[in-house]
Amino acid sequence: MTTIVVGVLGALGLVSFFHLGLFDLSSLLRAASNLRQFILETFPPQFEILPALMHAIWETIQISFAGTLLGLFLSLPLAFLAARNLFGRWVAGAVRLIVGGIRTVPSILFGVIFVIAFGLGPTAGTWGVALYTVGYLAKLYYEAFEAVDVEVIEAVKSTGCNRLQLFRFVIVPETANTMISQLLFMFEYNIRASTMMGFVGAGGIGYYMVGYVQMLQYQHLLTTLILTFLVVMTIDYLSLRIRSVITVAKN
Amino acid sequence: MIEHTQGYDALTNPSDAILSAIGIEHSYDGKTNVLSGVNVTLRQGSLVMVVGRSASGKTTLVKILANVIKPTRGQVNLKINGGHLTRPIAYIPQHLGLVRNLTSLDNVLMGALGYTPTWRSLIKKFDRGVYDKAMDILSELGIKDKAEKKIWHLSGGERQRVAIARALIQNPRIILADEFVAQLDVITAMEILEIMKKLVQRNIALLVTTHDVSLVRKYADRVIMMNKGNILDTHDASQDISLEEILKTIQ
Ligand SMILES: Nc1ncnc2c1ncn2[C@@H]1O[C@H](COP(=O)(O)OP(=O)(O)O)[C@@H](O)[C@H]1O
Ligand SMILES: [Mg+2]
Repeated sequence: MTTIVVGVLGALGLVSFFHLGLFDLSSLLRAASNLRQFILETFPPQFEILPALMHAIWETIQISFAGTLLGLFLSLPLAFLAARNLFGRWVAGAVRLIVGGIRTVPSILFGVIFVIAFGLGPTAGTWGVALYTVGYLAKLYYEAFEAVDVEVIEAVKSTGCNRLQLFRFVIVPETANTMISQLLFMFEYNIRASTMMGFVGAGGIGYYMVGYVQMLQYQHLLTTLILTFLVVMTIDYLSLRIRSVITVAKN
Repeated sequence: MIEHTQGYDALTNPSDAILSAIGIEHSYDGKTNVLSGVNVTLRQGSLVMVVGRSASGKTTLVKILANVIKPTRGQVNLKINGGHLTRPIAYIPQHLGLVRNLTSLDNVLMGALGYTPTWRSLIKKFDRGVYDKAMDILSELGIKDKAEKKIWHLSGGERQRVAIARALIQNPRIILADEFVAQLDVITAMEILEIMKKLVQRNIALLVTTHDVSLVRKYADRVIMMNKGNILDTHDASQDISLEEILKTIQ
């Protein structure tokens, strides 16, 4: 059985490799020499353009931060309605379908859509990141809500409270740590999504990346990538530290 | 079953029953009955203990009486006259159902959600009177100094008192408590049961389930013995039944 599966997968792989030109020796050699040329032209990075880039990377961080926050505000009501321990199967199912639909749209497509709506610039990028965030954060949140101890819910429900009160006094306090740590994770992740927003003119550092590629200024491109890398690493690190403090506080 | 029906008729003068459950059947899976035709009545100012081995259906019965789940068959009647009552029945689940991330006081205030307007409760603006009442109850139960402590900092006995306080602020005529002192050491369990005794003197009816039969003789006005979803026997004036008899009945 295993042999057959491996054999079939191997054959499929070979066929698609062939189709995609991975066996074309002359094109492989050409690609290698192009890449060598590209790398040679990329070094050394040029740091004199850094001051100009600082403004753009700061915009990317802001897009990520504001987009994540906006995404949070949109996610909360959706996650509330999608939690099956708060709402019936139909309401929760319909809202899950919406959230799932949002999740299937790639972030860059949201960027394009909001550039059409708002025009070029960071406003479009922020909305793009926000919608992208909703697809994931709403799902993470309704799953956390559903994991709340059913006994606590039953006990508080029996005091005669309604769903909003239940949400405010049971669901949110019981999941607050998880919610914050997932929000930080989302912010961290959204730095990458925000970078891509620039590719379609929706603000931030990505705009420069695409520009440098088009103008063949590879040294500038490398500088941009290094800067982005440093920012991503710093934010990952800070977010990890904060999240570990939260997890420790929880236990 | 027949024995119980006799007991039910003989022991309870219908006029002082404030809660009566008749012919309760319940099935979780639609096939096997977890309760098969149970009758229970509760009189004002009495402490009833339901004993039975685990899986005999005690928790299911309490949830049905508390209106947390609907029985497959049978009905629960409340007969309460006079007084403006907010929540006639307060329910304390097996693991108490407290929100661990909130303070004792917040948990007690949750008992007032049923009679506090939604918008005011969402910003935690409870009436002055409700606050005072919560503090009074906490101090009466001897844990006023723990009011601002989060639940997970409290001992088992203190948590038990918070759960009682949350029940009391509902101005209940009936308190249903599942496996009430199961997690406590003997001394603390007796302290808590002394508190419950006092509540009975205030005309609150109590129904407490337990798998620990040793407490029955000292505290119960009445004992209901369950096994495999049936009530096997009901005894008033529990003093004249020996531990051995109870054990033999429910085994
Ligand atoms: N939510 C549930 N879904 C399915 N079966 C359940 C559920 N709760 C309890 N049961 C079953 O019902 C029976 C009685 O359980 P329970 O009422 O908890 O008894 P007890 O409180 O006396 O231990 C057990 O066999 C248990 O497995
Ligand atoms: Mg139980």
